[in-house]
Amino acid sequence: MDFVVSQILTGLSLSSILLLVALGLAIIYGVTGVINLAHGEFVMLGAYCAWLLQVQFGWSLLASLAVIFLLIAALGWLIEVAVIRHLYDRPLDTILATWGLGVMTQQIVRLTAGGELRYVQMPPSLSGSVDILGATDSAYRLFVLAVALGLFLATWCIYRYTSFGLKLRAITQNRAIASSFGINSARAYRLTFAYGAGIAGLAGALISPLKSVSPEMGTTYVVDAFMVVVLGGVQSLVGTLASSAVLGETSGLLAYYSNDTIAKALVLVAIVIIIRFRPQGLFAPRVRA
Amino acid sequence: MSGKVSRQILLYGVVCLAILIVPVLVDDAFLLNKYARYLIFGMLAIALSLSWGYAGILNLGQATTFGLGSYCMAMFLKLKTVPIHTGSDGLPDFMVWNNVTELPWIWVPFHSMPVALLAGILVPALFAALLGWFMFGGRIAGVYAAIITLAAMVVVNLIIIDQQSYTGGFNGITDLARFEIFGLTFDAYSASTYYLVAICLTVTLFLALAVSRSKTGLILQAVRDQEERVRFFGYDVALYKTFVFALSAAIAGLAGMLYTIIMEFASPTFLGVPLSLSIVIWVAVGGRQSLLGAMLGAVLVTGVQGALSETEAFLETWTLVMGGLFVLIVLFMPKGLAGAFEALVRRFPKAAREGGARHAAEQSPKSQPHLGGAL
Repeated sequence: MDFVVSQILTGLSLSSILLLVALGLAIIYGVTGVINLAHGEFVMLGAYCAWLLQVQFGWSLLASLAVIFLLIAALGWLIEVAVIRHLYDRPLDTILATWGLGVMTQQIVRLTAGGELRYVQMPPSLSGSVDILGATDSAYRLFVLAVALGLFLATWCIYRYTSFGLKLRAITQNRAIASSFGINSARAYRLTFAYGAGIAGLAGALISPLKSVSPEMGTTYVVDAFMVVVLGGVQSLVGTLASSAVLGETSGLLAYYSNDTIAKALVLVAIVIIIRFRPQGLFAPRVRA
Repeated sequence: MSGKVSRQILLYGVVCLAILIVPVLVDDAFLLNKYARYLIFGMLAIALSLSWGYAGILNLGQATTFGLGSYCMAMFLKLKTVPIHTGSDGLPDFMVWNNVTELPWIWVPFHSMPVALLAGILVPALFAALLGWFMFGGRIAGVYAAIITLAAMVVVNLIIIDQQSYTGGFNGITDLARFEIFGLTFDAYSASTYYLVAICLTVTLFLALAVSRSKTGLILQAVRDQEERVRFFGYDVALYKTFVFALSAAIAGLAGMLYTIIMEFASPTFLGVPLSLSIVIWVAVGGRQSLLGAMLGAVLVTGVQGALSETEAFLETWTLVMGGLFVLIVLFMPKGLAGAFEALVRRFPKAAREGGARHAAEQSPKSQPHLGGAL
């Protein structure tokens, strides 16, 4: 029983990280159709901001979260204005442009902050562990899980119940008609991109005490997050939630029986096979194209 | 054969000839080794141009197939090393260090040269065909396909690093024998190896040109521009895409084998994200819809990179400059240098009159603007 619970908790921890990283990606892709390959770099920048604020200014991680969200969101906003908005009708080129931006970001960080690994302190109030049904789990991991679910809920509520969310849904279904009804789709795209970037930054900051921080850390996260989005189906926030849970638990279980790499490979093979027969993703809603 | 096509063949031929006479002018083994490396990158660019420029399949994991080819060659050459350099019973040294007692079954066929050479081309091609069958059969296209190729590369890379006792792990396969065939020995630093690469490049370039000019090439370009319509005409779009994807992988595999000969080792970095990104950048700079442009783009970019990286200041900022240049090209010059060159030629009426006027007469108004010009 202990084993089962602790295995589930390990999987949930993986799931929460996947969800944090994939959420921003899914929002941006779902609304604007842009695959943001610089997403991993937003995550990495969030982690570096956390490190910088802690080392330079002595801020605790929890206090700096809001600042990090705003900083990275502002960066996302700038990138949308400078580059992305010119490419909305060339989806393949958005991949390239964001990839180029990602590489530049990585190199800038390497040149300014150095290429060595950095470590961020866990908030002292959350560094203990908690007993759940006989298994122990770190309080911080549970906190990350709670934040991930909280962010998901907040995003879902914005999407579902606010007038801005209504406009987003209208744009997603048909941008031209939505625009002709007076919805400022350019502004909506910009805000979406900024919001997605901000969430990525937040993800990076939250992950930073669990993993080491390095300029290359983004690449692995972004690939995993894409798998989540591909499996969950685009334009489906619930799909993103469900597939992060499935992928996290599966990887956790497979990793227990073999190792992380084999787990990753098996998950990828499974995804490639699944998309052959369900290209729209496992949890995609039926929408008229 | 129309004048346009023969002019194109002439241009391609001149470039290949220029590449082939380089060793006559340069008598420096070190330089020749470097140039041969650039040419191999040129082959990679041709491979990507075929799948991306002609069929619209953006392969962000082109380095996967390159690396697979490279490892096939490295496994073959490793088994040919003198037993002193390997462990007891001719077991490769890193296997001895990893306590492997007998040669793993995947290594056994690599004792034979024909098998190894075939594997270097067929393994990547089959890998791509399998991945392509799943992706294109599921009508995965565009950005999705791009992401899956990227993910596949990351996973293959991780597996190679992880399976240390079979692949040499992080260090790769080093300490290789020289490649010998028909009594010729190919030293990495020699004109003969340069010729080997140059000839492979020429063959590849003309093969790719032939494919792009064939009916299959036409259908692929149609798929790129309007996939649905081609499907409605009754063509098996997935089959065509899988074919070009596998062909591109085979070319990359061949390039990988040559790269092992040139570099004298194989390493997991050969199928890393940075190399894949570089390939995409070369092709974007050179012009994705032009085989020759893409190839020259690779030679140009890596050449400039090689020259600049010798100066201290550029060593670290190079990636930054390249990334910035790439973003600008994507934004403002989607057809790359080849596209710019063609626009330039078109702007000068004199040049157009010389070559074009006769040409405009024989080419009916329904000439195909999408099929690219001379390049």
